This record gives sequence, C-alpha cells and structure tokens, in this order.
Amino acid sequence: MSEQTQDQGHRRNKASITRATRPRSSTKGPLDADNGLLTSPTTSTPQLSPSLQPSPAFASQARHATPSPAPQLGEARPKDFSFLLQPEIYHPLNVQNVPPAFRNSPKQPTSETPLEELLAKGHFRAAAIAAAQELTGSTVNGSPVDPQDATRIFRLLYTRLACLTLIDATSLAAQEAKALEDLNDARRYIDDNTGEHLVPWELRVLHVRLQALGFGDARRAVMSYHDLAREARDRIRRASLTHDNSARELWKSRLHELGIKVAGALIEMDDLSGAAHHLGSLRDRGDGKLALSKALLWLHLGDTANAKACASQCSETMENVERIILALCDMADSNYEEALQKWQEFDSSITDEMIGVNQAVCLIYLGRIQEGRTILEKLVDSGLSSHTLLFNLSTIYELCSERNRILKGRLAERVANLEESPFGWEKTNADFKL
Amino acid sequence: MAWNLTPRPLHEPLKLQAQRSQKEMSHQSYPHHDPIKEPHSVSVKVLRLSQPSLVTQHPIDPPFSPPNTKSQPAPASLAYAPSSTNPDPFLLSPILNLPVSFGSAYVGETFSCTLCANNDLPPDAAKRIRDVRIEAEMKTPGLGGTQKLELGPANNHEGAAAGGGGVDLEPGGTLQRIVGFDLKEEGNHVLAVTVSYYEATETSGRTRTFRKLYQFICKASLIVRTKVSGLDANTSSSGTRKWILEAQLENCSEDVMQLEKVVLDVEDGLGYHDCNWASDGDQKPVLHPGEIEQVCFLVHEKGADSGVRMTPDGRIIFGVLGIGWRGEMGCRGYLSTGKLGARIPVR
Repeated sequence: MSEQTQDQGHRRNKASITRATRPRSSTKGPLDADNGLLTSPTTSTPQLSPSLQPSPAFASQARHATPSPAPQLGEARPKDFSFLLQPEIYHPLNVQNVPPAFRNSPKQPTSETPLEELLAKGHFRAAAIAAAQELTGSTVNGSPVDPQDATRIFRLLYTRLACLTLIDATSLAAQEAKALEDLNDARRYIDDNTGEHLVPWELRVLHVRLQALGFGDARRAVMSYHDLAREARDRIRRASLTHDNSARELWKSRLHELGIKVAGALIEMDDLSGAAHHLGSLRDRGDGKLALSKALLWLHLGDTANAKACASQCSETMENVERIILALCDMADSNYEEALQKWQEFDSSITDEMIGVNQAVCLIYLGRIQEGRTILEKLVDSGLSSHTLLFNLSTIYELCSERNRILKGRLAERVANLEESPFGWEKTNADFKL
Repeated sequence: MAWNLTPRPLHEPLKLQAQRSQKEMSHQSYPHHDPIKEPHSVSVKVLRLSQPSLVTQHPIDPPFSPPNTKSQPAPASLAYAPSSTNPDPFLLSPILNLPVSFGSAYVGETFSCTLCANNDLPPDAAKRIRDVRIEAEMKTPGLGGTQKLELGPANNHEGAAAGGGGVDLEPGGTLQRIVGFDLKEEGNHVLAVTVSYYEATETSGRTRTFRKLYQFICKASLIVRTKVSGLDANTSSSGTRKWILEAQLENCSEDVMQLEKVVLDVEDGLGYHDCNWASDGDQKPVLHPGEIEQVCFLVHEKGADSGVRMTPDGRIIFGVLGIGWRGEMGCRGYLSTGKLGARIPVR
C-alpha cells in the first residue's frame, strides 16, 4: 500500500520537473526521522539545510495522494533500455596515461579475457572497455544485449561506471552516467508488475555521486542520498512487518551507509561543520568506525582537541582506533617524534599499509628521509601498491635525485611485476608522478 | 562609529592561482659562485612541508556482486589495502599523503621546507663527494632584508653535525635538512639555498658551490578591523572607566580556518572580560573564505587611579589583540595586531 502511494508520488512529481536538471524536491528528510535508527535520542533538530526541510503542504499531498492503480500508464509492459546501448554514450579510454611498464606487460589481458576474470585480476581499464563493448554490441563473439534485459544491462553499466571511477576517470563516468537521466522516473525505471526499481541499489548509490559531479552541484548528492534513505527506511519497515530479518539487516546497513555518505558529500561541499554535526547524529555500530570518522573530520578541520575527545570515547575493544587517532593528533600538532613512536608501537601487533606509510611520512618531517624511503620500498616489495604509497615514494625519489625519472620508472616496473589482484593492477602516470 | 582596519591599511591584494605546483615555486640557479663549467655532481631539491593530508576515498560495491547482499567494498576503491583500521564507507581515511602542491603561503603561518642535497654521481664514479653543507636564508619584502635560517633537525641520525660540519655523501646519498620560518609580511619572499661540497678525485680536489633561489608570494590570511566604544553608564557607579572593544576577523585566505583563541594582551592598569566562545564553552568558530567572525571584549580600569597609559595626543592604549587559528590537518596560524587604542573625549 505504501508502495503504491510512493509510485503515485513519483509520477505526480514528475510532471513538475524538467528532466534531471533540477533535483527532485524532497518530501521528508528520512535521516532525521524519529524512529531512532540513525538519530540519537539527544538530537531533536533536523540536520538538514533549509532547502531540505519538508514543506508540510507538499509532504501531506504526497502521503495522502489517492492510491489509484496507475491507469494512465496502460498495461504493464517490459521496459526498453535501448537508450543505454548507444555507442556514442561511451568514451574511448586513453592509454597515454598508462606507464609503458604496464602497457607493454605480458600481464595485459587479451580481448577474449572474460569480464569476471578482468575484475578479479584488477584489470579495470580493460573491464570498463569490455563492459561498454558488450553494451553496445561491438564484441566479436558474444550475444547482443536484449534492450529489455534490465539485469544484464545494469550489471554491465555498473561495471563500466565503477571501473571508470577505479582508474581515475571519474569525470568520464560522470559524463556517461548522464545517459541514465533521472533514476526517480518511475515510468522508466519501476517494474509495473512488481513495483520494484529495476536499477540495482549499488548503481543508484553510485549514480548519486556521479550525477552531482556531472552537474557540478554537490548539494544535489546530499538531497539524492536522502531520497534513497527514505526508500531504505520504508524497506526496513516492510521487512520488519514480514519478519524478514536478513532483509531488515541489509536495509539497515544500507541506511547507515547512506548516512555516512551524506557526511562525505557535505565534506566535499566544504561544509565541515555541517558534516561534523551530521556525524554526531549517527549511531556507532560498535566497531569504532564512527569514532574514527569523527576524529578524522575534526583533524581535517584542524581541531585536535575535539579529535582527542573522540579517542577518549573509544572503548577498550577499540584500542587501535584510539591509538591511530592520537598518533594523527601528534602529527597535526607537529609532534613528529611522539607520532613516530606511536606508529612504531603498532608494528609488532598488526601489519597495515596505512601505519607503514604514516610512519614514513613522519620520518620525512623529522629529516630522516632515507629511513622513510626504505619503509615504503619494503611495502611495495610486500605487494602493496595504493595510490598514496606510490605517490609518497615517488615524491621521495623526486627529493633524492636529479635523475628521479629513472627511479620512478623502475618503481613502475616493480609494481607492474606484482601479482594481479582485485586491488587493481594497472596504474597511471599520475601514481608515479611521471 | 567606523571600524578601523588594524593595524594598518593592507597592501594591494596579491592575486595568485589557488594551487601552485611544488615545481612552480619559481627557482633560479646562480652559478656565478663557481667558475667551472662542468655540471655539478650534487643537486638540491626542495619540498614545502605543509601539513600532510588525509587521503579521501569513495568506497563502492564490487561489480558482479550477488544482488541484495551487503558486500565488502571493492578493495581498489579504498585508500589503502583493506584493513580493520579503515573507516569505510567514510570519505576520509587515516592514511597520509605528502603535500601535493605548494599551495598558498599566508601571514601568520610557519613556512616549513625540506632541502635535500643529493650526490647524483653514478656508483662507479671516480669522484668522491665530501663535506656537503647546506645554508639557507630568507629574503623578505620589508626592510628586514635577509635572514639566515636555522637548519634542522638538531640531532641528525646520520651523525652529521648540524653545527656547521659537512657530510660525506656516497653516490645516491642524500643530506636532508628542514628549515622553518614564521611568515610575518605580505609579498615576495625568496628562499636562497646555498650548497657547497668538496669534489675529490684520486689526485686532486676542489670545493664547489652553487646557489638556488626559490620565490613565493605570501598573502594576507586574516583582516582585522576594530572598534572601541566607551561605556559611560557604569562610569559613575564604580568610579572606573569601561570600554567595549569589538573586532571583526575576516578570513581573506582561500582555506577554511577554525579560530582557536582570541586574547587581549592589555596594558598595565587594565583588565578585561572575554565575551567570546571560550567564555561560555561554545564550539570554536569555523571561518570559510570570506567569512567574518565578530569578537568582543569588555575592557575596564583596575582602579580609578590605575595609571592607564595615555599618548600625548589623548589616546588611551589598550594593548594588543592576538588571534590563533588552525587550518587543514592542524596547520597553525597566529597573528597579533599593533597597539590598539582610542581617543578619549575630555570630560
């Protein structure tokens, strides 16, 4: 019943909306709803900016709309997604920004390598190309995509867009995501028979960020996450009614994730105090992640006193979180000796790329660049290759030699020889500052 | 009553690109110290050590994951190898990046920079590099001219004496030093780095020197405007005079800053009451570029004949206003104004 009403709401809204150029007005901010899933009991004020406040007239209109069973749409027909199969949507990918060590490596996949294998081995550029080829029917062998096969189309499209974000081509992904237009368009994306949204959740979530980037409007992301959160809340309610525990847990974790993503979107809008306020309204799930998130935000803002306060709230089981926060606070206060000592104390208990890299960064600020270099080179030798690790090591090479291009080229070769993994094998020139 | 720009009118604002790459900190070589035409065996590299930054991440679900299950984020979308220390799906992660670009330099900040002298000879070279020394000085726009900079770290682990002695460098070896300088003036600054070393062959040797100049512009970070008004109403009752000192602090930098403290360093015979965030435990104000925070102090005489200083032209001097702030990842700034005062009408 609630679902029918929602559908009505979507359709009614649509008439007043000029395509996806304007964010859909929100009826009710679901993250500040009152059932306490995300909001702590102490916060009573909504965290949202005025434009997100529910307008009472509009909200009641949406909720009490007559639930007539969609006669104006005609009988249920399968949706046609041929507009997503147009070759002009998908951009060619540049190989010029891939270092020769990777371009000419025998590890480069062939055009026959299946998509799943490309993903498993971290060949994301190749996977993005393969997904677009399959969508546009330009593969040599392989069946053409049926424009009504929503599952296959959206799986491929998600693969395409996700892989673009993983190879530092997020702006291309944002352009290509525009082809989806408005995912809230019920006529296009809601299955008439089941009332289900045909686009998988992960694509809808990714689309929020890409759409905000594509339109250069970060605020849109905050609003769209709230739209999705409203739906997640509705799902939790329905799952509770049918005693479907696994569905309930799934949607609860999705809702929590949306809450965290709203904070991220606010940070990207430079609304740091808003983000801090918002994070403060979320409930910790007992894994210390929220305490760490809050502390990182305070540190980003430069407020070490508040960051330390987050550390002191950590329980005994989150001892590592507390130590990370305090070590970062030392760095923010330019106490690099103390910070280094804290990072070194970690070493024996856990091996963690972040701890190694931060230790090396400390050493550089202490004037011990050679030791920092040794640590980072060891991390690469152990098979690690995050962007940050490579960027910092390349920066050290730039400082340590006039002929740093040779050192950076050698580093690229070393990384190209690492095992392929879902962490991503191929790197770009920017990773090595080449 | 008008607001006074404190302590003095600002120079013409200097417009710069928001982001300058480290390489763009324009530098020039001055080879005139060294008559030898041969290329140098030692190079010098510099990096501005502003605060390291927290790396951002956008965790996403892996493609081809089974529908309607909660999967672990795609490892490639995380800032570093999957670990329980990662607060995913949060945007900020605890791993730190070295400074990406030179950024902007602001009055009130400490400029920190690392200088690396490197032996760039191949391992099989016949020459030996001995007694490498780095010196640095800063040319400021004002009359102060040039200041010699102290080179850290004081207790270097490579055993090099920071107190003047040189260091021998093997091929590929690096001598790293760090300098710090409190930026107090707007305008053109030049960091001059001089490297000297002894180049020895089997039979002979010579001392060589070269100098590089790195130029950057320091900009204003905070504009302070002040206003003083007398509180006549209370004068008669207690017999002591009171004033309200207000200040508007405008963030004229391109970065977000969080004000940490505002303090009045008052002259003898005066006391003050802080009416700002610290006094009632409020959150410290965050100023985005272009935003203004207004602060207020209640200044009072400690006694009727407290001997408050007056200037010959009838101005009463209150003291100095100090403003401390923090920027991204704790970057510190501190400014103090000139002496603040007000003309007191004759009663």
